[in-house]
Amino acid sequence: MDAKHDVLVIGAGCAGMRAAIEAFDAGADVAIISKIHPVRSHSGAAEGGINAALGNASEDDPEKHAFDTVKGSDYLGDQDAIEILCDEAPDDVYQLENWGAVFSRTDDGKIAQRPFGAAGEPRTAYAADITGHVLLQVLYEQLMKRDILVYDEWFAWKLVVDEDRCQGVIAWDLMNGGLKTVGAKTVILATGGAGRLYVGTTNAYACTGDGMTMALRAGVALKDMEMMQFHPTTLSPTGVLITEGCRGEGAYLLNSEGDRFLKRYAPNAMELASRDVISRAEQTEIDEGRGVDGSVLLDLRHLGAEKIIERLHGTRELAMTFALIDPIHDPIPVRPGAHYHMGGVDTDVWGKTSLEGLYAAGEVACVSVHGANRLGGNALMETITFGKRAGRHAAEWALANTTVTVPEGAVSDAERELRELLDRDEGERPWRIRDELATTMHENFGVFRREEQMQRQGEIVSRLRERYERVVVEDKGNVFNSDLTQALELGFLLELAECMVVSGLARKESRGAHARPYDYPERDDDNYMRHTLVTWEDGRPQLDWRDVTMTKWQPQERKY
Amino acid sequence: MPSEPTAAAASTNGALSPTMDVAVKIWRVDPETGERALKTYEVEAPEWVTLLDVLDIIKDRVDGTLAYRKSCRMMICGSCGMRMDGAAVLACKTRMADIVAAGHVPVISPMGNLPIVKDLVVDMGPFWSKMRAMKPWLQPGYEEPPEGKEYHVSQERMNVIHKEALCINCGCCVSECNSMESDPDFLGPAALAKGMRFVGDARDGADVERLEEYNSEHGIWDCTRCYFCNERCPKGVDPRDAIAKLGAESIKHGIDRDMGAKHAKWFVKSAETTGWLRETELVPKTQGVVSSIMQIKFAMGLARRGKVPPPFPPHVAADVKEARALRDIVQQQGREGALGHVQGERALSYIEHHTTAGNRHAPEITPGEEPVNRDVGERP
Ligand SMILES: Cc1cc2nc3c(=O)[nH]c(=O)nc-3n(C[C@H](O)[C@H](O)[C@H](O)COP(=O)(O)OP(=O)(O)OC[C@H]3O[C@@H](n4cnc5c(N)ncnc54)[C@H](O)[C@@H]3O)c2cc1C
Ligand code: SF4
Ligand code: SF4
Ligand code: FES
Repeated sequence: MDAKHDVLVIGAGCAGMRAAIEAFDAGADVAIISKIHPVRSHSGAAEGGINAALGNASEDDPEKHAFDTVKGSDYLGDQDAIEILCDEAPDDVYQLENWGAVFSRTDDGKIAQRPFGAAGEPRTAYAADITGHVLLQVLYEQLMKRDILVYDEWFAWKLVVDEDRCQGVIAWDLMNGGLKTVGAKTVILATGGAGRLYVGTTNAYACTGDGMTMALRAGVALKDMEMMQFHPTTLSPTGVLITEGCRGEGAYLLNSEGDRFLKRYAPNAMELASRDVISRAEQTEIDEGRGVDGSVLLDLRHLGAEKIIERLHGTRELAMTFALIDPIHDPIPVRPGAHYHMGGVDTDVWGKTSLEGLYAAGEVACVSVHGANRLGGNALMETITFGKRAGRHAAEWALANTTVTVPEGAVSDAERELRELLDRDEGERPWRIRDELATTMHENFGVFRREEQMQRQGEIVSRLRERYERVVVEDKGNVFNSDLTQALELGFLLELAECMVVSGLARKESRGAHARPYDYPERDDDNYMRHTLVTWEDGRPQLDWRDVTMTKWQPQERKY
Repeated sequence: MPSEPTAAAASTNGALSPTMDVAVKIWRVDPETGERALKTYEVEAPEWVTLLDVLDIIKDRVDGTLAYRKSCRMMICGSCGMRMDGAAVLACKTRMADIVAAGHVPVISPMGNLPIVKDLVVDMGPFWSKMRAMKPWLQPGYEEPPEGKEYHVSQERMNVIHKEALCINCGCCVSECNSMESDPDFLGPAALAKGMRFVGDARDGADVERLEEYNSEHGIWDCTRCYFCNERCPKGVDPRDAIAKLGAESIKHGIDRDMGAKHAKWFVKSAETTGWLRETELVPKTQGVVSSIMQIKFAMGLARRGKVPPPFPPHVAADVKEARALRDIVQQQGREGALGHVQGERALSYIEHHTTAGNRHAPEITPGEEPVNRDVGERP
């Protein structure tokens, strides 16, 4: 064992850092492992804001927030967890502000709040268009203040399980090379999402679902994996997010015929309809041949140069840099892109998994507060509130239990597996498998799901997994071997894809992000007010179900 | 080169973007031996690619051992700082079409002023330890937030630190910092901008202690004002301006023991009274009498060669009124005023004019406007 701690957090985005701070304040010896420096985490890319019923912009209360979230989740969210999130959110946001978060302000100097999709009140607290960045910075500041140890640029690869307890992590040290073993009484997974399963995604290169697969391999179930949210306006071809602010300012969505096609899908709300409605409308247009190179067009031109420069400067810069298009003169090609994974590691409301000593929080986890569809602004809030709760519980448990053992076998097995990979010289480099996975997931498990396409995708993923068995890492060196870590990431992604397909096939209804208009167009509350749970047995996914927890709210039709 | 389209090009659901042939030269650095080699790579890439995309294509198809950092590919995570033709850029912000069209083959190398680890990867350790030295966390001070709630601070007051809060810790400024090149211990632009982020924060109570620290050796006055940091920052943080603001705040709080502060003060005094910069007085006023006596020989040498005017009799510029009028403009309009003529040097506007320490609840920093992200203009 190279080191030992009470609590070891894997991942240093908003969830991981918030968990570490809480565990530290509870008196535990805590450390963080992160494959990229904490401030490089993808939480920093969040622009819009964070939801809490502060009531600074209107009369609001946590109950309204909870109702919006339950309804938004298409009734797949667990209502006990949602109530906790909404009740604790205001204090958690005040805490961030007191630590120094640079929030935007109301006229009377309070935290400003803006309206956001499907929220009954303006409750999204924000910091201009850099909310995630500001939160990441303030959490890192608090980390420095407490002098919390970060194993920076260590790539966590395997969980150590001994005597049915998670007792640590085996990681690859990117800077120096070599496997390192860190023992811990409790381990918190906070590794974020898995958007890299898709070729068009708003997610960073680091979002490869590592923690989900690590948990899966340790015998923990993944919940609601079919629920991947697509964002309707991601820039073609890179997938960089184009803010909803554009539509808020009055931008049009056009098809190849120059038609504002939303009049046929959402005649009242038009461009301001909810994310899933617009994503589906766009995909229908594209599928029916009215797209432009696999995209539709976001037209800002009628807003005029002045407004574009003044109000949508960031968007213009993104379009000019990444698509070589100036929205003053040309419409921006956009399409639905994978944005947020509602599914993830199955946890309870304290972030606890079924494996003793293992916790999960943030996008990697599925508590579940987002159910089948996440509301904008709720993901950041979840990282904070459930990061905090996981940190506290993990610390308390660790302080009450003393021993940590890492069996020799675990380390030597990992060493052997790694050697085998690095010693292989004949075979395929990973990138082609990675690209095929991402393109086919987009085609066959995207905005719409068809039975036969999902089945085909299952076969494709199996074949890709076979090819992955013979993958070759070209870089054999020790120092900053990103060729190796990228190969390991691909391994994580492949198993997740398989879990998603299995869950998707099993859910024979349309709910939230899981849209099956061709065979099961309706929501089926009698049979599917249930979470899918996938575990890994003998190299294959196994499916199970669990009923949704309800407290106050009976399902209604979800209409806006 | 593989002839099939790149995955990126194929990613628009089958439709192919037009491609181009891109060539770059990359300084490869072997981590074990430290050996360096400039290698040329040529790949086919879609027209919209950035430098980061090109590196990805090279790593996938040509040489898997190429090392560089990346994550967000949208100019927010700060991973991908490197040099192109000798100037720091974010690889993901640098689009290649214009460079290729100009027929240019850029040279890519790791950032400057930081130890090289491998290829384009530098050791950010020194960057972070300087950041840490700023004690970059809010130290609650003047007011308590209302019971269990947020501090009340106006948006205007928040805007003071808006630019500094944009910093993504990419290190591009540090890479180009002239002062750090000669003094590796200089705190440097990014850390000092972070310092300003707290000094300018109405909620922070440790501003005076902070200023004391930033005024010590390797601190704000060691900046050479070359403005390279402002020029290279991809996020419009303008670290040099932050340093100037720290200087202004220091002088306002009477922290002017540093030569740099004295120098700045005397500069203004001199220009204001005679319209000239009186070099012979500048040295003793800045460095003190003893130190200047030691430099007399040097000064006499300069005088002999006509490089400095004799101190007596003091001669006043014919148009001293003009100098004073200029000072008044600075005083009235601050740094942002007068068409930005006095770029960055807000320090001057405080000297001798704002002698009262001011209300500590509301430091007299003029709220800045919301900055726009400036394109630093990649050079072909
Ligand atoms: C473009 C964009 C905009 C968004 N806007 C909003 C918004 O406005 N409001 C909102 O509420 N939500 C928004 N979201 C969603 C939200 O930002 C994310 O869900 C959330 O930030 C995830 O935080 P996290 O802490 O769980 O993970 P991340 O911030 O992704 O952090 C993951 C961490 O895990 C580490 N890690 C991963 N794998 C390993 C490994 N194998 N070993 C070691 N470390 C590892 C990484 O280094 C990183 O530190 C947005 C998302 C995107 C992509
Ligand atoms: S202006 Fe100062 S801080 Fe900025 S690069 Fe030049 S010497 Fe460095
Ligand atoms: S000030 Fe600018 S260049 Fe320097 S680290 Fe921050 S964002 Fe990068
Ligand atoms: S990859 Fe994140 S800033 Fe370039």
